[in-house]
Amino acid sequence: MGLSVLNWIAETGRLLLPVLVPSWRFFDEIAPSPRIEYCVSSSATLSDETWQEFWPRPVYVSVLKMLRRMIWNPRWNENLYLMSCAERLMSHSTRHSVDEIFDRLIADLLGGKYEQSYVQFRLVFLYWYEGKLHRQVTYLSDVRRVSGDSCDA
Amino acid sequence: MTLDLAVRMTEFLLGFALLLQSVEYVYSQRRLRWVFLLRSLLSVVLISGYASEWTTLLLWGIGVFQLYRFQGPYNGGSDRMGMLVLSMLALTYWLPEKRWQELAFGYLGLQLILSYFISGWVKVVNPEWRTGAALRNVFEFSAYPVSESLRGWAGRPSLLLFMSWSVILFELVFPFSFLHPISLTIGLAVAATFHFANACLFGLNRFFWIWLSAYPSLIWLQDRVLEGIGG
Repeated sequence: MGLSVLNWIAETGRLLLPVLVPSWRFFDEIAPSPRIEYCVSSSATLSDETWQEFWPRPVYVSVLKMLRRMIWNPRWNENLYLMSCAERLMSHSTRHSVDEIFDRLIADLLGGKYEQSYVQFRLVFLYWYEGKLHRQVTYLSDVRRVSGDSCDA
Repeated sequence: MTLDLAVRMTEFLLGFALLLQSVEYVYSQRRLRWVFLLRSLLSVVLISGYASEWTTLLLWGIGVFQLYRFQGPYNGGSDRMGMLVLSMLALTYWLPEKRWQELAFGYLGLQLILSYFISGWVKVVNPEWRTGAALRNVFEFSAYPVSESLRGWAGRPSLLLFMSWSVILFELVFPFSFLHPISLTIGLAVAATFHFANACLFGLNRFFWIWLSAYPSLIWLQDRVLEGIGG
């Protein structure tokens, strides 16, 4: 009991301290940037892997749309949260980040033609090195059914 | 500007910013919808100025819950600033003496200055920022540009160098705007334009509204400091 209270205080402190005493080091370095890619298959073995980017950005955004997004930008803000999850997943692997990404992926696929299919995601990090842009796959998730159930593939 | 007026302006602007965020979440996520519906309702109450001491406290409680639920801020720096504004606003209401209330609200103004200055400092000491290479990376491969067509800006080194130094100089010079009311008005107008550009280019609309909500604290702090110096 005493220990759990101490843990709770420590956890609350860990979450609140950066809020009350922020570091404000915005864009101090441009770190490798994550992309979330996923593949869907009718079988749990996912033998036919065709990876596609999750929520890719549009080719063009008009000025009018930019202005509208000043007050209404839910998809983009959610995507920024998923990028944070992807970065956290690389710094310390947590089930929380995996579940958050799967939640959005599955919610997006539910109701469409992928119902009852299987889905897997991977993280690809992009970075600039020796004058060239590189891509590196850094994480491969487990496989889950689009209905949301976990699956040991 | 009086403390009461600055606090009222802050709660109005913060309430609007939190309302936008909450409605967005209710729209896009089914989970925790009731929490964000409640947060939307409390944001409207905060805008109205009714029972603000309890409203800020409840919103702060939801903010702590969100930190747990998302294992940190949902949208990085903008949510951190949102919680900072909310925390200092709640303290201003709940601290018993005016001197302590002023300290809490003044701390918010101080953090606002630091938010620009430290961001400028970490950039100016980084050679990648000084050469424009950092912004090239932002446009070339970061997750921020709102469209693929914007990635083309990575191939315009002169423009990026100009943009880099404009940002660095603005952020480093911002604290000096505190010295006079006119310079602060100009400084805050440039700062708001900077956030507006970030919102358009990188989709960081939450930063715009949240940072705006902290501006009254700095305007009040300047009045309070100048009044103190003038005796």
